Amino acid sequence: MIKLTGIDKYFFAGTPNEVKALDNVNLRVAQGDFITLIGSNGAGKSTLLKAIAGVISVDAGSIEIDGRNVTNLPEHTRARDIGRIDQDPLASTAAELSIEENLAMAYLRGQKRGLARAVTGQRAEIFREALKNIGLGLESRLKVPVGTLSGGQRQALALVMATLSRPKLLLLDEHTAALDPKAARLVMEITERLVNRYQLTTLMITHNMEQAIRFGNRLIMMHRGRIILDIGAEEKNKLTVPDLVTRFTSSSGSVFDDDRVLLA
Amino acid sequence: MESVIINALQQGLIFAFMALGVLLTFRLLGFPDLTVEGTFPLGAAVTARVIVEGVNPLLAVLLGAVAGGMAGAATGLMHTRLKVNNILAGILTASAIYTVMLRTMGRPNTPLLAHENVYGQVLGWFNLTETNSTVIIALLVLTVIVRLLLGWFLNTDIGLALRATGSNEQMIRSLGVNTDNTKLMGLIIANFLVGLSGALACQLQGFADVGMGIGVLVAAIASVIVGETIFGGNRLGRLLTGVILGSIVYRGLLAIGLRMGLPAEDFKLMTAVLVLLVLCLPNFSLNKRLAGVVPGVQTKNKKPRQTRSLQADYSPSPAKELTVHVQNDGRVGE
Ligand SMILES: Nc1ncnc2c1ncn2[C@@H]1O[C@H](COP(=O)(O)OP(=O)(O)O)[C@@H](O)[C@H]1O
Ligand SMILES: [Mg+2]
Repeated sequence: MIKLTGIDKYFFAGTPNEVKALDNVNLRVAQGDFITLIGSNGAGKSTLLKAIAGVISVDAGSIEIDGRNVTNLPEHTRARDIGRIDQDPLASTAAELSIEENLAMAYLRGQKRGLARAVTGQRAEIFREALKNIGLGLESRLKVPVGTLSGGQRQALALVMATLSRPKLLLLDEHTAALDPKAARLVMEITERLVNRYQLTTLMITHNMEQAIRFGNRLIMMHRGRIILDIGAEEKNKLTVPDLVTRFTSSSGSVFDDDRVLLA
Repeated sequence: MESVIINALQQGLIFAFMALGVLLTFRLLGFPDLTVEGTFPLGAAVTARVIVEGVNPLLAVLLGAVAGGMAGAATGLMHTRLKVNNILAGILTASAIYTVMLRTMGRPNTPLLAHENVYGQVLGWFNLTETNSTVIIALLVLTVIVRLLLGWFLNTDIGLALRATGSNEQMIRSLGVNTDNTKLMGLIIANFLVGLSGALACQLQGFADVGMGIGVLVAAIASVIVGETIFGGNRLGRLLTGVILGSIVYRGLLAIGLRMGLPAEDFKLMTAVLVLLVLCLPNFSLNKRLAGVVPGVQTKNKKPRQTRSLQADYSPSPAKELTVHVQNDGRVGE
């Protein structure tokens, strides 16, 4: 479904500060896969997701979604197929606009926008239904500006927005990392529910090894711009956090340097 | 007193179009568009030129507004296609407009008193003569129409995408909107309104002058601030109406100042100081709102317009959260 071939990405190319953020990344994602992506700080996880979404361009390689080569397409033309949520709870929703207005924008993901009224009674009904799914009571607060919601509520809303038009691919970049533990658990629970319900193909970055093992059917680990581990469902079911640390050390030849992971 | 009211309403309504344009770019689109200092006199210059050529005044005013829209397009294209910084793009256009105006009029100033004006023309259709109050009524009708049109537009799918471009550009792009286009559209509409404002101003005062744009931007910002502070709320509709009222109040204050014998040449300095004061008063509750008016203005509370209500609205229903929580714990077995 998603096919990445030989992806390279440099930052500050040709300067002394050159960083190779992605180094010959090859990845095939099957329809319905829920992949968790883990790796040390600066491994290139966010860069990989941004490259798939078209937020940044790549320096080599090709990206295909459902057989269509999207490598050179700008972000907004790939948007139809891709829902993406960032770590920053302020990034995936528009604070000044109301809940229903945010949903109205997501409702037309990737479609032509015209001079029709953005929030109609009929659409509001669809939004209310979608919000009921996440059980936060937001369905009764459609006209409230999103800026007045808590971080957890905003990420939950972002999930509804990302899944409202059933994208082919859902990209989650540590979307619970900035939340307090309780809100993070809640948002993860909603994530799992929505991914299962709509059978969404999902790539989720997490810095929490336990989370990476618990969710999804496949686990990928990155280090210095490369994919160094790719663990399938069967093996993943038996995996423990100490296993994962050991395998990281043997594959990368270095110590896992994200202290957040060890604390988790 | 009567003259103060007439002045406030006539000037206030004419400059309300400009204030709405400035609201659209500075506040809703997050684009500090300096083109408008040039667009305002450009609208007047183009209108004056074609009226002298014998074009009917209503069409002339429309052409003035269209010229404004084209100036907005120039800035928008410079910024989106050529990647020129937004402030610089506006400055470049405004500077180029100066030559365009001189070329259009052939001189720095065009008197129009000898020609029929748009107010007399339109009022004539309804068998009304042009007096201070009928002019006000005509302007009021146009303001209401523009206010309603803007309110409608900003609530359509495109209009929402435009507002989202100002609120969270990265997000709306990830939803499939080409934000270059929304910016371009916003700049065209805003500068069309500013051009309209200039065209209507030259029709009322009976001349167009290349210098008539000096200081109008700060005045428009002041009107937006006054409107948002006194009348505006979170709701878009109130904001639009508030800005129109703000323009009237601001012009009223100026008229009162004049009446009290304050020297007119001091007004621009006083307005600038006033705007600066309001923007910089720390920990003043208005401050948070105003931080949104002028992008780039840093205030102590960096998150505008949210800080206060955040506490008030924070808690979802605690009971519901608890339920989900428990289910979650059960499933995960922590
Ligand atoms: N916009 C950017 N400009 C310059 N360097 C960047 C940029 N984004 C990421 N990098 C660099 O690329 C590398 C990978 O970053 P990132 O993908 O954010 O890592 P991760 O998400 O795995 O922690 C890091 O060395 C980071 O400093
Ligand atoms: Mg990252």
